[in-house]
Amino acid sequence: MPQREVKPTRSELLEIKKRIKLTKSGYKILKMKRDGLILEFFKILEQAKVVREKVTKNYETAMEKIAVADAVDGVIAVKSAAYALKTKPEIQLRSKNIMGLVVPEIEANSIRTPMDQRGYGVVGTSVYIDEAAKAFEDLVESVIEAAEIETTMKKLLDEIEKTKRRVNALEFKVIPELQEAEAFIRLRLEEMERENTFRLKRVKQKAKA
Amino acid sequence: MDVAVLGNEEFVIGFRLGGVKRTYVSHADAYERTILDLIADPTIGVLAIDSNDIDKLSPANRKKVMESIAPVVVMIGSKEGDLREKVKRAIGVDLYKT
Repeated sequence: MPQREVKPTRSELLEIKKRIKLTKSGYKILKMKRDGLILEFFKILEQAKVVREKVTKNYETAMEKIAVADAVDGVIAVKSAAYALKTKPEIQLRSKNIMGLVVPEIEANSIRTPMDQRGYGVVGTSVYIDEAAKAFEDLVESVIEAAEIETTMKKLLDEIEKTKRRVNALEFKVIPELQEAEAFIRLRLEEMERENTFRLKRVKQKAKA
Repeated sequence: MDVAVLGNEEFVIGFRLGGVKRTYVSHADAYERTILDLIADPTIGVLAIDSNDIDKLSPANRKKVMESIAPVVVMIGSKEGDLREKVKRAIGVDLYKT
């Protein structure tokens, strides 16, 4: 708050004192929120690392298996088996609350299809195609898991950044400015008091004379 | 909501075999437009993309894709996403470093 905008009055001083108290309590709460969010984030980070590794591992396995299936059965056989599938994974998005932050909870069903319901003939295709299909089902499952955890992480990180910025603004800008304004009013009031005392003395002296 | 996959022919065929029906083959020239259309689609919940394709996007669109929450974009492959960079920026420490 620039000093020229501050009126050096007692009511303004009381108002600023009240604002400083409120700002400090807000600052404390925001600081606690930031620390809480960081703790939550650390919990998620471990899960995210594990899931990311799982996705990469499953992806490598799946690509290896499909390459074998392509080589043994031919690209056309793999393609026709892929296009014969009838079921598809369905996901439901729900939400949960972490310190006022809404994060998604993804629930998936029918990712795994039994071999006899895959839509292609069991006799007409080789075991390599089945293995590739199973490997990709594993991959889809881990991708859905990663989606939930990574979204939570992205949201948490955004919220941490936002809260951090607010805490810093209060700590380094708002509170110091209010304190400065308070000090300015105090000084100005003291100065006015001194001037008044001096004026009264002068009036008294003149009255005596 | 559905799971969708965008990538090259081999990548996409695998996912079709895994049961994902909404698969899109990426052509280099139309990749940017396709991915932007997909992230604007409200029926898609999770979009899996090949991490090698992410460099085909302009920096602004890459940021938009990586920060998309509905749908969530999951990068698959050896390349690391922008999440590491984001963690570094928000926390101030590279927590992925081992």
